[in-house]
Amino acid sequence: MNRDELRIAILETLSGIAPEIEAGAIVPDKLLRDQVDLDSADWLNFLVALHGRLGVDIPDADVGKLTTLDKLVDYCGRRL
Amino acid sequence: MAERAAQMRKVIGAAMARSKREIPHYYLAEDVSLAAAMGWLAEQNAGRPITDRLLLAPLLLKSVAAALRRYPEFNGFYRDDAFAPAEAIHVGVAISLRAGGLVTPALIDVDRKDVARVNRELLDLVARTRAGRLTATELSAGTITVTSLGDQGVATVFGVIYPPQVALVGFGRPTERPWAVDGGLKVVPVITATLAADHRASDGHRGGLFLAALRELLQNPAEL
Repeated sequence: MNRDELRIAILETLSGIAPEIEAGAIVPDKLLRDQVDLDSADWLNFLVALHGRLGVDIPDADVGKLTTLDKLVDYCGRRL
Repeated sequence: MAERAAQMRKVIGAAMARSKREIPHYYLAEDVSLAAAMGWLAEQNAGRPITDRLLLAPLLLKSVAAALRRYPEFNGFYRDDAFAPAEAIHVGVAISLRAGGLVTPALIDVDRKDVARVNRELLDLVARTRAGRLTATELSAGTITVTSLGDQGVATVFGVIYPPQVALVGFGRPTERPWAVDGGLKVVPVITATLAADHRASDGHRGGLFLAALRELLQNPAEL
């Protein structure tokens, strides 16, 4: 999966958690949760869904680092 | 969508106007150290896969349920000029909708479930709220309501009681604050817990004891 495919997969997963968001409007290097107004339960549901879709393990110590779309793409790309 | 939001605004407005018209609210607040709770969560989560990760919210909900066991006058309904305590503790969780408005579906029997189970059920409740798949029973089952602003809100929230309930517990955003510990100063995560309660069912003294119990319960998260 290349970066573009990964980005699409992540945004599709996000849309599944928050159907109201406009995936195309997301700025990749800005804080994701600020842009889509996800609460902590939504965010965890998103990460669990991402884990289910991509098979990427996300240990607790890394959760706090995954703050932007760019960082998510980098992280998942390295661990696929 | 806009029509649904307008309809929801009307329903919320009617319930809240009734609440403010009929319920003599009083309000209390208490700052609670989360050092123990956050430490316990970090310890638990270090050994858990993402699918079993625990949030802070279930600890807060469990502490409310445990405090209600000791102070039942905050759990139940005011109907026909009398307070009727509820046997079960079903905690309505305020969830704001991105399209506008909010819902307060209930987690059932919170006092009788462990933290991990409340965690799972909360995640499921939020997911089903987003998908528009809540049941009518869930939406009306609450015996008390908890509003928790999570890590993106403001520091303090004072709620409006959802009639015929008699109390609402609010949790603001946890913040790092200077905190006196054993005669010294430390920086610890602190959350402001508030209580809005119905003076027809309880008084401020008992409300204060309720919040104090909640504070103490959160100092021993492993026991929740």
